[in-house]
Amino acid sequence: MQPDDLANALRPKLGPRLRAVEPFEGTAGRVRFDRTAALDLFRAVRDDLGFGHLSMVAGIDWVDRREVVYVVWSDAARQYAILSTDLPADDAHVESASPVWPSANWHEREAWEMVDIGFDHHPDIRHLLMPDGYAFHPLLRSFKLHEPEELEVKARHV
Amino acid sequence: MAAVAAIPASKAPVGAGAALPGPPLPVVHEPGVPFLEIESLRAKEFIPAAKEALTSLVAEQGQSKLIRPVFNWAGRNSLFPLHWGLACCAIEFAAAFGARWDAERFGVVPRSSPRQCDLLIVNGTVTWKVAHKLITLYEQMPEPKWVIAMGNCATGGGPFRTAYSVVPGVDKLVPVDVYIAGCPPRPEAMLDGILRLEQLIRERKE
Repeated sequence: MQPDDLANALRPKLGPRLRAVEPFEGTAGRVRFDRTAALDLFRAVRDDLGFGHLSMVAGIDWVDRREVVYVVWSDAARQYAILSTDLPADDAHVESASPVWPSANWHEREAWEMVDIGFDHHPDIRHLLMPDGYAFHPLLRSFKLHEPEELEVKARHV
Repeated sequence: MAAVAAIPASKAPVGAGAALPGPPLPVVHEPGVPFLEIESLRAKEFIPAAKEALTSLVAEQGQSKLIRPVFNWAGRNSLFPLHWGLACCAIEFAAAFGARWDAERFGVVPRSSPRQCDLLIVNGTVTWKVAHKLITLYEQMPEPKWVIAMGNCATGGGPFRTAYSVVPGVDKLVPVDVYIAGCPPRPEAMLDGILRLEQLIRERKE
């Protein structure tokens, strides 16, 4: 499967909400999409293109914007594909992929917890790695490594 | 024995050769009756009587001078650490109980339940996520209890001191008696820490 195949299959369903399809080494291609197209794209990629397994969801903080990257795998084509969407830094939220790929659940919890990306209609949005009530999103670029005592005062919920 | 001599003659306990009916049995609630015939006590009377006897004994011998060394001797020779591994220090912790170092020589036997332990060896990096579990385990241990911070992470956060998820030293959570340096400490260092704790217990007054 080539980037053109991805574009030809997805363009009729998504229209301009499909921003670009780029070649990406070792995968079928990298699909950049608008966040309003998230659920439509997920369903099309899973049902029409056969990418049945969501391997990873990652959040990236680019300071001026945030990005969510989904890596999906197709058993039939034996190929990965990458889906990514840009979010504004002050309003970073996107529709959850959990209804389409249940494995997105914990990955999205981690992305929310670490880089503060909201996932709408997530079934169970809780802290995953940090204790409940933890006040920071520590992998944001704006997060400063605190002095231990300062962090202790802020983070102590035990 | 000295306490027995303090009993007034009229309230002396019934001796082995005394015939019934003898002098009336002493009543537990009466003050100044430290020692009694154990056989004559009802079950609910035993603990007050024993307490009374012990108190009078201590009052005579001085605070804790008589029994404290015995308790300390027993305690320091049967330290039961909690079998709880957190990180790589737990590997050295395990090695210390193997054939080569054999920590059981010192009466140190890891137990799986905090109810059976009197020593908490924190061996590894303590994160904020596990912090309240650690406090729960510590609180579940019966008194008297001691804590050893094993390794640099438990002592002060180690290389992760400024990390967002790591408790900078387990003494922020529970009182620590002995710190062991090393990353990780060798089993000899752990045994040295246990021997130092035994020294602390030997000198324990209260």
